[in-house]
Amino acid sequence: MPANLNSPTKAKQEVSHLSLLNTNTKPTWCPGCWNFQILAGVKNFLTKKIKNEEDKKNYAMVTGIGCHAKIFDYINLNGINSLHGRTLPTALGMKVAKPKLNVIAFSGDGDAYAEGMEHLIHAARYNSDIKYLVHNNQVFALTVGQPTPVTEEGFKDKTNPKGVKVPPINPIKLMLSAGATFVARVYADAKQIEDVLEEAFKHKGFAFIEIIQPCIIFHPDANYKKYTYMLKEKKHNDKSFEAAMKRAQEFDYNTLHRKTKIPLGIFYREKREVFEENIK
Amino acid sequence: MRYNILIGGEAGQGPNILTQIIGDALIKSGNYAFYSRDYQSLIRGGHNFNVLTFSDEPVYSNDSKVDILVCLDSKTEELHKKELKTGGILMKDSKENMYYAGRIFKLLCLDFKILEESLKKLDKNFNENIVNAKKGYEEETKNLCKIPISKKNTYFINGNTGICNGALNSDINIYYAYPMTPATPILSELATVDGVKVIELENEIAVINAGLGSSALGKNVMVGTSGGGFDLMTEALSMAGVAEIPIVVYLSQRPGPGTGVATYTSQGDLNMALNFGHGQFPRTVAAPGDPKEAQEITNEAFYLSQKFKIPSIVLGDKHLAESYYTLDEESSIIKIENTTPFIRYNSYEKDSFGSATEDAQIIKANVEKRLKKYKEIKKELEKLPRFSVYGEPNSKNLIVSWGSTKGAIIDAIKDLDVEFLHIKYLEPFSDGIKENLLKKNLILVENSPTGQLAGIISKNTGLFIEDKNKILRYDGRPFFADELKKEIEKRLI
Repeated sequence: MPANLNSPTKAKQEVSHLSLLNTNTKPTWCPGCWNFQILAGVKNFLTKKIKNEEDKKNYAMVTGIGCHAKIFDYINLNGINSLHGRTLPTALGMKVAKPKLNVIAFSGDGDAYAEGMEHLIHAARYNSDIKYLVHNNQVFALTVGQPTPVTEEGFKDKTNPKGVKVPPINPIKLMLSAGATFVARVYADAKQIEDVLEEAFKHKGFAFIEIIQPCIIFHPDANYKKYTYMLKEKKHNDKSFEAAMKRAQEFDYNTLHRKTKIPLGIFYREKREVFEENIK
Repeated sequence: MRYNILIGGEAGQGPNILTQIIGDALIKSGNYAFYSRDYQSLIRGGHNFNVLTFSDEPVYSNDSKVDILVCLDSKTEELHKKELKTGGILMKDSKENMYYAGRIFKLLCLDFKILEESLKKLDKNFNENIVNAKKGYEEETKNLCKIPISKKNTYFINGNTGICNGALNSDINIYYAYPMTPATPILSELATVDGVKVIELENEIAVINAGLGSSALGKNVMVGTSGGGFDLMTEALSMAGVAEIPIVVYLSQRPGPGTGVATYTSQGDLNMALNFGHGQFPRTVAAPGDPKEAQEITNEAFYLSQKFKIPSIVLGDKHLAESYYTLDEESSIIKIENTTPFIRYNSYEKDSFGSATEDAQIIKANVEKRLKKYKEIKKELEKLPRFSVYGEPNSKNLIVSWGSTKGAIIDAIKDLDVEFLHIKYLEPFSDGIKENLLKKNLILVENSPTGQLAGIISKNTGLFIEDKNKILRYDGRPFFADELKKEIEKRLI
């Protein structure tokens, strides 16, 4: 914008508003962790929405416990760094208290699919206007590498020396079945996260966004990126439940072979009444 | 004068509404009434009964023997005939509850117009009910017209309504719960109030976490449950302790362990209420002894949790929750000012910015800030009634109790040489209690198998209550005044 270049005052404001979301806490994620991409994507998105302290009051975040939750300390937003698995009911309580507040909730795959599974299914059903990001690294990383409900069969760690014997769940299928009104999957890439948040905030209701975020220490990238493709490039109809289910089944979180495809983008969206607006 | 009426029948035959109508009429005509409910965990059939006790003087409990036995089914006669006093009145031969309403109104010389009004208010089946009521009224030949007719400003409420009133007096915004007897009626009662959001979620874990989410945004929030549900809430309550988010919890006890006995009464969760949650953090625990105290203590819980940003527990039980008491005084109300800021809350130890910290100095300072709160809460509580004393002040004998045993004790000690100290605040424990206990023959009354209050008294005062002086009931039933009186008499010096 040329106008900005000619107006030093405006440029100064721009700089100060970028720092609105910064904190003084030095990140303790491993060097090279994909969480840095998620942090960048979320901050890029928020920077577009939050221009001053007043704007900031319209946003809040909730986190669970695990590597993902460290993001709470790296973004200067109000909210609650809650308990392991309890992100969603906490966020629900915030939406019930202030329906107009924009609430972004973060979970890891342990939070979302193990400790907090019951809340996840009901969150999809309630359709509270929460934007929910699951950092799925297919492992309990902060407790040094045990399998979660989305870890592939055969995965070995010190607690499972013979390898995992049960198949993983498919969270995309699960969320579609549970009635989630916005279901998406992205890769831990700042631009993809920024874009999906833009779409998620256009959607009024529960937005389930899974982020494939390989753990560089305990669950290194199985080269997933090679198998991914963007749904919007394949003319996927995100209004069709059947089409969404079909695409969801293309990747089972378990096996990778020549024909594996990992669709990314928005699987499904529909309009439905929002929980907090539907109580007396 | 003190009469007991036992009304029994199958679930669905309407023993409750019959008891309620008689109780209301007794109060309207200037008497005091109290009734408790004994019901099984089933919806239709089975055996339910209520005992209604009334007098021209205040009554707060039932007796083990009854003057009138109303049998809506044959099982009632079978099970309760042994409780009918010699010369007592047995009413049977009809399955219609309002037929007995008519008979009892006649028997007690109550105004039939009051009955007619009550039936009109019921709305449902008015025509059938009024015919039955008239039939009963005409058929009754006896009378026990010793009842004074006067007008007093009294009201007839149960403990759960007291809790609701206390919450409403505190401008409650949101009530979260998962249904669990005996706390469930709070859901339906608050659901009828405009401006209060009543929300049932998937389990008690969701309930408490949603409660904290709403409270952190400046809402006045209460959650309600019984022991099992409370167990599920304790991790989040511990988080409330470290994050300093206010929350009011109504814990309505029933017998445990496990699912225990769902629809009966107990005081077995006192130690749990005092010790819940991992880590150490301040909380208040207060137990009302009647619906008036339930209103006041619930209101105080909102005040204290908001002022100190802590969990405040209102500890009730099934007997208090579902028994009806006659109240003739309005409760006092503290205005609640919500001072909870919208900031960064954390379940970790946090720095001044609200971010997680592992810094030794900050951890120590946070712990000491919480420790300081214990003292501040204790000081603040000096402004509130923490215990009450009844009976003979110069007696060498002193009964101590907490919660819903208050009613039976007050009724039992009327003619006895004994003082009675009823503790409302169990946490923090008032320093003023000790001086009342010194040089007395201490007797404990508790609806639990071990008498948990004795341990708490010892911990806080260094004084002991001997096992032989513990009057304990742990069969799920409340104390009856007449039986309790005998037990107390055995222990007096």
